[in-house]
Amino acid sequence: MPENPLLPMAGQIERIITETPDVKTFHVTFTGGKPFVPRPGQLAMVSLPAVGEGMFSISSQGEQHLEFSIKKAGMLTAALHEAETGQMVGVRGPYGNGFPLDLCRGKDLLFIGGGIGLAPLRSMIVYCLAHRSDFGHIQIIYGARSPADLVFKEEIFDRWPHEPDTEVNITVDVGDDNWQGHVGFVPAYLEELNPDPAGKVTVTCGPPIMIKFVLQALDKMRYAPENIVTTLEMRMKCGIGKCGRCNIGSSYVCLDGPVFTLAQLQNLPDEY
Amino acid sequence: MYVLDKSQLPSFLEAMAAGRTVFVPAEAGGMTRFVPWQAGIQLYWEENPVISPKELFFPQTQVLYGYRTLGQQLEILSRDEGNSPRVIFGLRPCDAAATGIMDDVFLTKGYEDSLYRSRRQNTLLVVLACRRPGPACFCTSFGLDPTRADNADLMLYDLGAEWGLEAVSPAGQDLLAKPAGPVERQAAAPEFAGDFPLEIKVDHLPSGLRPMFRHQVWDIMYQKCLGCGTCTYLCPVCHCFDIQSHNRGVQGYRYRCWDSCMFSDYTLMAGGANPRPTKKERVRNRFLHKLQFMPERYGKFGCVGCGRCVLKCPVNLDITQVANRLAEVVANA
Repeated sequence: MPENPLLPMAGQIERIITETPDVKTFHVTFTGGKPFVPRPGQLAMVSLPAVGEGMFSISSQGEQHLEFSIKKAGMLTAALHEAETGQMVGVRGPYGNGFPLDLCRGKDLLFIGGGIGLAPLRSMIVYCLAHRSDFGHIQIIYGARSPADLVFKEEIFDRWPHEPDTEVNITVDVGDDNWQGHVGFVPAYLEELNPDPAGKVTVTCGPPIMIKFVLQALDKMRYAPENIVTTLEMRMKCGIGKCGRCNIGSSYVCLDGPVFTLAQLQNLPDEY
Repeated sequence: MYVLDKSQLPSFLEAMAAGRTVFVPAEAGGMTRFVPWQAGIQLYWEENPVISPKELFFPQTQVLYGYRTLGQQLEILSRDEGNSPRVIFGLRPCDAAATGIMDDVFLTKGYEDSLYRSRRQNTLLVVLACRRPGPACFCTSFGLDPTRADNADLMLYDLGAEWGLEAVSPAGQDLLAKPAGPVERQAAAPEFAGDFPLEIKVDHLPSGLRPMFRHQVWDIMYQKCLGCGTCTYLCPVCHCFDIQSHNRGVQGYRYRCWDSCMFSDYTLMAGGANPRPTKKERVRNRFLHKLQFMPERYGKFGCVGCGRCVLKCPVNLDITQVANRLAEVVANA
């Protein structure tokens, strides 16, 4: 009998990092090492079988572990947020197409993230910084509702800005008494910074309302749809293009996505 | 052709059922469907059974794996169904074509669904050629021939007092070589007679539908739908499923079960977003999925014209009327 692609393997939460009041990053390890090496932007199904199973982007990886940065939103994620290190989880994957590395190599990269939307971008940013000479200038524009809601604080404040030829611009919707940085929505900050589209690929992920206005801003700044990359969310159950629900037109987000260029999205029904 | 006196069918099926399960059309629980043959069973040949044979490959509920949880521990327990050989005896050409579409869904595009395959690859299809159209049939609209099926192992013909049998595959030929088997004789397949009650004009499909997604025709089309999901459960091509858990203390199992794109929580995400929030989007997705998205993805329509959804929809939301209304709009655009 061939291997059942819906069967997870058991992993263990080795480390938990509290990113924000409602986002935690989980490092998951496996007996015998990582079961697979995901490409940046790929996904995996994570389960507490008695509670449920959900599709999450793999926000980074190490030699021995996979990382998932998960916002508390429903039953499964609430249970994961209650979990302590040592908790075992089911993992299956990798799923999805990942970011288009071929399109990005040799180009300047502009990452635009909002809230937990930095999680999938992080896998790509980490990859680019590890293969620094394959890519040109890297600019990261990232925003969250408040300073407390910024994820990956160590990386965005202390590490990435010090990488070669890398620029990080942070904004928050609403500051607090200690916030010295920029205040304003991501799309407005993007227009203010006005990065030149020449030789550039932009990769954006965030809440739908942010993506909507970011795409409008990029259009105004004359970025070509072929060079605008984004990721989509849909409810998923199987992850392998069989269970039906994540279709957008004739494309399945789990198989053909979650990463699409704006040019590809313009050819699909706008039902996402 | 091989022929068998109809009175000999039980002994033929009995011989066939040695070492296999033979599914036959019969009345069961107030429904007509395919059930395991056993001596004395009354077979149902009048119309195509209400419940299609898709449940034999893709059961309404099916365990995927078991698990044990104790404290922080988790053990995943894979399950091998160990399927024995099976024969579906007397399915119609439309359902055979639907099986071919399900094969494309479950066995192609990057992943093979092993649970589907273990049932499918051990199953032979004995396909009954139709002699007349049923009350809501339109298989010919999709280019299907109601008297044959390419993926049959054996074709079955109603010759009046006898059954005619013609092998299509080597495995089908083996089925004929039973001691109680039919005998070879010159006989002609019966003529198909009668006009089809329904028709879908497919000339504009699927490309003509591409600009139709935002058309106002959907604002009216969906209104009478109750969202009951009967159409999707009876459809031999609808393949959507959910995956859920059944817990008993420290152990349980994950299972899949049929789901329906007509249900409001089908695409509802944990954060509350729903890309298909009303019946309009759901109805549109169901019909476009069958008439546009499946042809684009698999090169085949997601409908075989069996008419089950037409007969059983409580508000008569008829796919042939929908498709033909879309055709009108496309033609007048």
